[in-house]
Amino acid sequence: MSLFIDIFGYLSVVLRGLILVAQSFTLGGLAFQLLLWRPFQRQLSADSTAVGSRLKTVFGVSALAWSLLTAAAMALNAAALVGTLDVSWGDAASADFGRADLVITACALGIAVMAKGPWTRLRAGALLALALLALGTQLELTHAASRLDARWPLLLADGLHMLGAGVWIGGLPSFLIALNGCHQAKDRSRIAQRYSLMSMVAVTALILGGAIMAFAYLGSFEAIYGTAYGVMVLAKIVLLLMLLTLGGCNYLSVQALHRDPTAPVLRLKRFVEVELGIGLTVLLTAASLTSLPPGVDLSQDRLSWPEIVERAAPEWPPRLVSPDHDRLTISLLQARIAAAEAQQTRAPPASVPGDGVILPRNAEDIAWSEYNHHWAGIFVALIGLLALIEHFWWGRWARHWPLVFLVMAAFLFVRADEQAWPLGPIGFFESFRDPEVAQHRVFIVLIAAFGLFEWRVRLNGERAGNAALVFPLVTALGAALLLTHSHAIANIKEQLLVEMSHTPLALCGATAGWARWLQLRLPGRMSRIASWIWPVAFLLVALLLLDYREA
Amino acid sequence: MKMGRFTGVARACAFSALLLALPHGASGHAIIVSSSPATGETVAEGPLSIHLRFNSRIDHSRSRLTLLAPDGGQQALIATPGSSADQLDAEAKALSAGQWRLRWQVLSVDGHITRGDIPFGVR
Repeated sequence: MSLFIDIFGYLSVVLRGLILVAQSFTLGGLAFQLLLWRPFQRQLSADSTAVGSRLKTVFGVSALAWSLLTAAAMALNAAALVGTLDVSWGDAASADFGRADLVITACALGIAVMAKGPWTRLRAGALLALALLALGTQLELTHAASRLDARWPLLLADGLHMLGAGVWIGGLPSFLIALNGCHQAKDRSRIAQRYSLMSMVAVTALILGGAIMAFAYLGSFEAIYGTAYGVMVLAKIVLLLMLLTLGGCNYLSVQALHRDPTAPVLRLKRFVEVELGIGLTVLLTAASLTSLPPGVDLSQDRLSWPEIVERAAPEWPPRLVSPDHDRLTISLLQARIAAAEAQQTRAPPASVPGDGVILPRNAEDIAWSEYNHHWAGIFVALIGLLALIEHFWWGRWARHWPLVFLVMAAFLFVRADEQAWPLGPIGFFESFRDPEVAQHRVFIVLIAAFGLFEWRVRLNGERAGNAALVFPLVTALGAALLLTHSHAIANIKEQLLVEMSHTPLALCGATAGWARWLQLRLPGRMSRIASWIWPVAFLLVALLLLDYREA
Repeated sequence: MKMGRFTGVARACAFSALLLALPHGASGHAIIVSSSPATGETVAEGPLSIHLRFNSRIDHSRSRLTLLAPDGGQQALIATPGSSADQLDAEAKALSAGQWRLRWQVLSVDGHITRGDIPFGVR
């Protein structure tokens, strides 16, 4: 049980993220069926039958996943209560969250069972009722439910927000299936126009609900940059703007289809793929956000604007010399840490089971970490520069840039675990006993393998096929990881400042990953534009890494 | 290069990307807005009234308060019935001089578990 308690915090956010994805896909799938597919079914051509069946399968699987994941979340929370409070399983499961999870599990299971087969008007009505009941109950598990003030307006706003996200982002897989499966130009034009209209209404609901919640939960302008909640809201807004830009381009494509149904739809499909990828990142960010206390409640230890500016101001040169040879700077750094700690007013600390203890860090630890970040910045800058040089006729040699990943892996192998071989006293094999060291070693092997894999892709050019998609997917995945990393529950300034630097890194990473995806998946001018965007995004990541400081 | 013709490698990558992209770490969200005793406060010897106010409504029957004595002993406290929705109150027996910790764990009504310690002194 103690091991379980240790990983409880991690597991609960994992489940929350997956539940939001499954919930959105279910709501989106249902909206797509009720507002688009069923009304148009008779007007669509023969190949739409197979598409309809595929849509129902995806919808049913999403609902089943929603049900199973909610049941797992209920069991997880109940187990945490049993493990920490000495209460019975029955007592733990009968808490408010247990009852809400039970209702959602049953509703989602009902949807999954009823998704198959012909949809009569009665069945469609029942599916809608079950989905709305599940969504309404889900609201009981949000911030709004536990507020003391303005509970109903916030519940309503959250409901609108989740419904909007469901119809828009959750409807994207269905839209993509329909675009790929329907081969008649008229069918595609009809589907695209209706989905475009649905998305616009959904986006309005999503923004309206989100704006109400942002005002209520942030409370002041200072909370936007002063609290982890505010920073995550900001990240969500940037991702939303990226999605809206893509959506705007798609709108133009849909209008072109309206004027001429035979207009090409390849760009529309590819943009929808990227919209879906960024949409998933937003949902995972939202899961991370829902587990944070609202910024309005954290009035102590917020970051001030001068503190952020002071940290973000570039310092030259970057720390490229290992701390062992840099004693003077370290002592100065130590004085700055002590001064910063003295300024901090201590709010009552809080955590969830499994959060662990935040160990104190001294100047040497920080210098070590900054050195690693700055060298990583140099490697990433090299990758971005070489990828740019590769564009020119004289720069063909630069296509070997994935080999920089091998150098990076070697650097991390030496630097990541200072207590282990080759720098520390612990032997190579002996060091694997430490799970953290073992984890680092696995990542290092993965980075090296990734570099070799992408190198092969560069050497094979066009012949590499879908293997080339590994690079953008892994880059986008890294960005999503950064956006969903752990947060300090109370405002711990140093952690907030680190978070502040990681958030733009993640946003640049997402831009790089999805721009590369478009370069590979689109022909012509759009592909060429995208091929310039992602190396520039890499260079921005490099600059951010070179500017990274922990004190 | 259609999605339908994803190679095995790309399929595996898409799957592992989804798995790896899962959120990392967690926090609950019932946090203390005000407390008596406050963090670091020094109180007089004798019985002590404890009042913790949170930023959200909490499930009283699934929340706990424990006092950790200077000698390492533990004293489970019984929450006073009838507290307001966002408050957890208790009465502690006579406390001896020394450094104490008030350990709290609450379940907010939206299902998040949060815990923490409030260190305070008795003279």
